[in-house]
Amino acid sequence: MYKIVIPGDFVSDDAKRAGEGTYVEEGKVYATTYGVVDDKGDIRVVAFNGKYLPTRGDVVIGKVIEISFPYWIVDIASPYEARIHMSEISTRGGKRIEFGDMNTILDLDDLVAVNVLNVDALMRIDLGLKEDLQIGRGNGRLIEVPPTKVPRIIGRKGSMIRMLKDKCNCFIFVAKNGRIWIKGKTKDIKLASEVILMITNEAHTSGLTDRVAEFLDSVKTER
Amino acid sequence: MGLEIMDDVRKDFVRNMLSEGDREDGRGFREYREISLKRDIMNKAEGSACVKLGDTEVLVGAKLEVGSPFPDSPTEGVLITNAELVPLASPEFESGPPNEKSIQLARVVDRGIRGSGVIDLGKLCIEEGEKVWILFLDIHVLDNNGNLVDAAALGAIAALQNIRVPNEKYGLTGEETLQVHDTPVAVTMVEIDGTIVVDPTCNEENAATNRLTVISNADGSLSGLQKTGSYGMKEETIVEMVELGIEKAGEIREKFLNVPS
Amino acid sequence: MKKEGEIEFIKDGKRVDGRSFDELRNIKIDVGVLKRADGSCYFELGNNKVLAAVYGPREMHPRHAQDAKMAVVKFRYNMAPFSVDDRKRPGPDRRSVEISKVSREALDPVILREYYPKAAIEVYVEILQSDAGTRTAGINAASVALADAGVPMRDLVSSVAVGKVGGEIVLDLNAVEDNYGEADMPIAMIARRNTITALQMDGNLTKDEFEKGLKLAMKACQQIYELQRTALIGRYNKGESAKLKDSGT
Repeated sequence: MYKIVIPGDFVSDDAKRAGEGTYVEEGKVYATTYGVVDDKGDIRVVAFNGKYLPTRGDVVIGKVIEISFPYWIVDIASPYEARIHMSEISTRGGKRIEFGDMNTILDLDDLVAVNVLNVDALMRIDLGLKEDLQIGRGNGRLIEVPPTKVPRIIGRKGSMIRMLKDKCNCFIFVAKNGRIWIKGKTKDIKLASEVILMITNEAHTSGLTDRVAEFLDSVKTER
Repeated sequence: MGLEIMDDVRKDFVRNMLSEGDREDGRGFREYREISLKRDIMNKAEGSACVKLGDTEVLVGAKLEVGSPFPDSPTEGVLITNAELVPLASPEFESGPPNEKSIQLARVVDRGIRGSGVIDLGKLCIEEGEKVWILFLDIHVLDNNGNLVDAAALGAIAALQNIRVPNEKYGLTGEETLQVHDTPVAVTMVEIDGTIVVDPTCNEENAATNRLTVISNADGSLSGLQKTGSYGMKEETIVEMVELGIEKAGEIREKFLNVPS
Repeated sequence: MKKEGEIEFIKDGKRVDGRSFDELRNIKIDVGVLKRADGSCYFELGNNKVLAAVYGPREMHPRHAQDAKMAVVKFRYNMAPFSVDDRKRPGPDRRSVEISKVSREALDPVILREYYPKAAIEVYVEILQSDAGTRTAGINAASVALADAGVPMRDLVSSVAVGKVGGEIVLDLNAVEDNYGEADMPIAMIARRNTITALQMDGNLTKDEFEKGLKLAMKACQQIYELQRTALIGRYNKGESAKLKDSGT
């Protein structure tokens, strides 16, 4: 059974295990966020909702919102804008990028899959481009869920997302910042989105993988 | 937004001093700076006062004009309190429309006056539903070194005490002076690391977690309270501050406001 | 505040609306009522209808207003023109500016602002129907909406007003009591910590009445806190839907 907590709720006496979504006061662990307690390993509160905070190594989906030589400024669904330095791509085709030409490589509104290279104390975020993954081209849909739901959508060792990809016949890329790129036939995309919404809504419940499998099978037989 | 502009070094300095029982100007924790009050100093205003609280200097002018009453109170005059934090008074003040700081200052002073019934607004009615006196209290800050509220509130009462009603200007006859029924006094205190300090300077305001203004009347009752600041306070602290506020108000009243009428 | 002889505020130990001195009006709380906002709450207090929305943490504009160490909380209290008997002119006035400031400071102490340097957390409170006590309803709604948005906090904030009517200290004034009563004192507090985060008073109270009122308000905040908590816990137990939105906004 899962336990819902709100900010300030007492979670545990074991301050050494206090993890994400908690704070410690006088040796006691309290929740900072509205969410569900997870006490396997660290004592964490998995938030129902919240904004993405980038960590080095994350792979996220961003949108170019500004070009300011030598940077592309990228929205990554976080309170902070991130940037891609020109040198991240300037080797492409062996040609140097000139001032004023940056938009020919990546233009405003272009979607990109990026790695978080570095986050400093002032929340300046440097990104590297994942050039092997093209977002927003061809038949697809980009949806957004609270980033706190991402682990559930991926599932233990990727079990949930593997099942989704298989049964929906879609290419699905789940980025750390809660943006999900789905590519495939329109009706398959629709089904995949529906299931992702179901997972998002029921992320805090147990037995979810089985229910999703059941649901997908029932849809399959209908078809 | 003063609280942010302060650099940490000065904040720490204020704190360290308090922890050693001292204040930047050497005062006791419950001691006011030297107060000076001058009345009736502006001859264009119907009433005026200038208050100095150490380096803090505030000018209050009262103007009376004839105007229309509010539809929901046809037999009452109107009191309008306004405050301007002009850039001349502090590097932190900017010109422009009233901001939340100046609005709060005016409204707290205004509430103190209303809460204790200083002015009988009914007496300001000239002709029911048509003509009433509009009483403007304008607080003009000249030099800000903290605790504007107490200076402004004291200046406001003093200005009201010396109002000459401009009957002649409007071709009216009537009483020449305004009856001032009470003498509410505002006393502001801050809490810094659990220490209560009266009449804070700018540095002390900035180092403080919370500020509480207690406005009390001649009979010791309260006519206004306002907490400012982004931190929580304990009930005991608030109660202690209220008691202290009433006590300090008595001292100020005795010295400056108990004029023979 | 004016005294009105003809209204009998207290009759047989009951107030004009039949409540006892220490009784709150009916409270209704709905969490997550808006789809676009990151968090939201609808709050009814008697005849008051209040809506709060939270956006963020998000990029703070203008940039010079950023705080390098912590998020800035922006709070806007706004009354709908039709929320009162005589139409209110739209937009901010002096009263709403002051209430916005006091409300923001009531919530600041619980928000873990240091988690989001340079960012803004925006709180918008709309008073749709007003019947005295709107600022307290707004703070209550905002506190729940902040939790709903996933904003990290130390605790919730609960708020209520007490006042003096017909010579008695009473809880949660309604419009008639507020208009003709002798004093009004809104407070906000972190109920579980007995810590007061907002305190205002206007009108006239003795020191003893003040202390009695403060105690009464603090007790009522505990009740309100329980209702806020129940609303939040109940939301996910009901299986309310989360949001799925197409990206790129």
